[in-house]
Amino acid sequence: MEAIQNLLMGFAVALTPQNLAFAFLGSVLGTLIGVLPGVGPVAGVAMLIPLTFQMNPTGAIIMLTALFYGTQYGGTITSVLLNVPGEAASAITCLDGYAMAKQGRAGVALSVAAVGSFIGGTVATIALVVAAGPLTRMALQFGPVEFFALITLGLSLLMGLAGQSMLKALMMGIFGLVLAMVGMDPVRGLPRFTFGRMEFMDGIGFVPVIMGLFGLAEILVNTEEKLAQVSVAKMSSLVPGKQEIRDSAGPILRGSVIGTFLGLVPGMTGSAASFLSYIAEKKVSKYPDRFGTGMIEGVAGPETANNAHANGALIPLFTLGIPASPTVAVIMGAFMMHGLIPGPFLFKEHADVAWGVIASFYVGNVILLILNLPLIGIWVKILKIPYGLLFAVIVAFMMVGSYSVSNSTFDILVMVLFGVIGYLLRKLDFPLAPVVLTLILGPLMERSLRTALDMSQGDLGIFLESPIAVVLLSLALLILIAPAFRFFRKKKGILSGEEGV
Amino acid sequence: MQRIHQGAALCFTAFSAFVVWESWNLEYYTPLGPGAGFFPLWLGVVMAGLSLIWLVRISGRKGRPKEGLFLPEREGTVRLLSVLGAMLAATLLMDFLGFQSVMFLLLFFLLLIPGRQTIWLTLVVALLGSVGIYHLFGRYLDVQLPKATLVFLAGLGL
Repeated sequence: MEAIQNLLMGFAVALTPQNLAFAFLGSVLGTLIGVLPGVGPVAGVAMLIPLTFQMNPTGAIIMLTALFYGTQYGGTITSVLLNVPGEAASAITCLDGYAMAKQGRAGVALSVAAVGSFIGGTVATIALVVAAGPLTRMALQFGPVEFFALITLGLSLLMGLAGQSMLKALMMGIFGLVLAMVGMDPVRGLPRFTFGRMEFMDGIGFVPVIMGLFGLAEILVNTEEKLAQVSVAKMSSLVPGKQEIRDSAGPILRGSVIGTFLGLVPGMTGSAASFLSYIAEKKVSKYPDRFGTGMIEGVAGPETANNAHANGALIPLFTLGIPASPTVAVIMGAFMMHGLIPGPFLFKEHADVAWGVIASFYVGNVILLILNLPLIGIWVKILKIPYGLLFAVIVAFMMVGSYSVSNSTFDILVMVLFGVIGYLLRKLDFPLAPVVLTLILGPLMERSLRTALDMSQGDLGIFLESPIAVVLLSLALLILIAPAFRFFRKKKGILSGEEGV
Repeated sequence: MQRIHQGAALCFTAFSAFVVWESWNLEYYTPLGPGAGFFPLWLGVVMAGLSLIWLVRISGRKGRPKEGLFLPEREGTVRLLSVLGAMLAATLLMDFLGFQSVMFLLLFFLLLIPGRQTIWLTLVVALLGSVGIYHLFGRYLDVQLPKATLVFLAGLGL
């Protein structure tokens, strides 16, 4: 009952003309970013944070979150019409979406994806409303020991999911933490790694770093190739047939549950949600061998799951103050730039902001549903703009975006430097997502660890005194050492096989 | 390719050594608890360990990275360096030539050379882009964008 009352209060905030306009703007810009090749959601959100500096915090966060889930809608358009995913979470949609487009059913694929995304987003938002109270109450019991354990678990999940490149993911996670050390020590207030430069006193700006690592690096990779024009599949009727509606219902339902659930797990990405949904659909289908040839289930499930994940991933951020994915980590950075700390205290101290933003998720999803279907023609036209023209405008926006963080050309140089670093790291097959999470979570992680050790006068045993921390840290340890076990088991298997020979 | 990966692993090791060295000069422990150097020191140590494991792994027969080009061919490298060079030059010239002039020149160059657009389209987009971005950020979003310090350009209000 309390949650419904709070949500109604949130709607009163979200439905003011100003906040409606921000949700609308965020949805349009998000779809545009999702449509544009070479600008993923992480760089897109970071690039547009400077636009929010003059806004009030509620409006700013409403716009940025709308932008985030807008990218999920936009990514589908390029997957279906170009066979090029606008963002990673829509990659799996290419398989059946593009096959449908080749059969002249692009319109149906896009409309089912839009409806699925709407339902997935709405289910995840309902989950957030339901979970907000209990999770917030639980988080309020957390001290520095439990927070440190929770962050460690989240980071180890992200790195554990990197599979074979776990070593590289770990290296990137620590690289992000080291970057987060630049500036004032969060506990004693002493400068570290500043090289005597005033610009580093407040730390390395996360906006230029993320724009460089994700945005500029992507542009540099694309610049290597000739900047060719892409061919766009033809659009068709948007109205699905009765059979297609029937075939989509189950995948949308399952995609909503998978996406929402995976959104709750720190470290799980939107790509993992859409991929798992695709596998689930293939498993339950009577015709698994037809997947990849234009099955509507292969579009409805993953597209619902990735949007449910996008909204679901905001649950840990709002309730525990822990970002579950790299883009959510950037949104967390935006919260902090506006003087808000996401987590349980947000509901206590800024209830209007927290519930206003949550209510805006419903509003944003409705806007996206209304916007996307009639405007598909416009997005298709945007896709026809030559990349040689688009990339120059994107570079210009990245430069002015970096500059406006602190009105300094130094931040542009930081962005260019991290663009080069990001380009090289991509060439070396390093995953970049851990850098974003640890860069944002670094100060929080260090503060929790050091406060805990201050409390215990340096005794590490404090981490074994809290049952919650023990469980969380044990899970983190299991995730991190599991690949070593697999490696030794495999090696043992090979050796015993050799002995047998 | 293997050499490049080995070089990268050594760079990471050197970076870790630098982090350890810098942290060493900070307070490791104070009477109140861990000092400013405590966390970064351990990060540097772990990073060095991981970098060395990577180096050993890629130097072995099994972990050898796939062969292929690391940098693009000549044409691609020139395009890549021209984008980076233009961005660096624009950043360094911004305080002298002012934001609008620099943005016009940057867009003009990027559109015409790596972007290979026609001269007329380049001119129109560069002009509209530089003036548009200036007005969006400078006027509506209140960002203090640099003005030209050169008398001639400053006189033109750029």
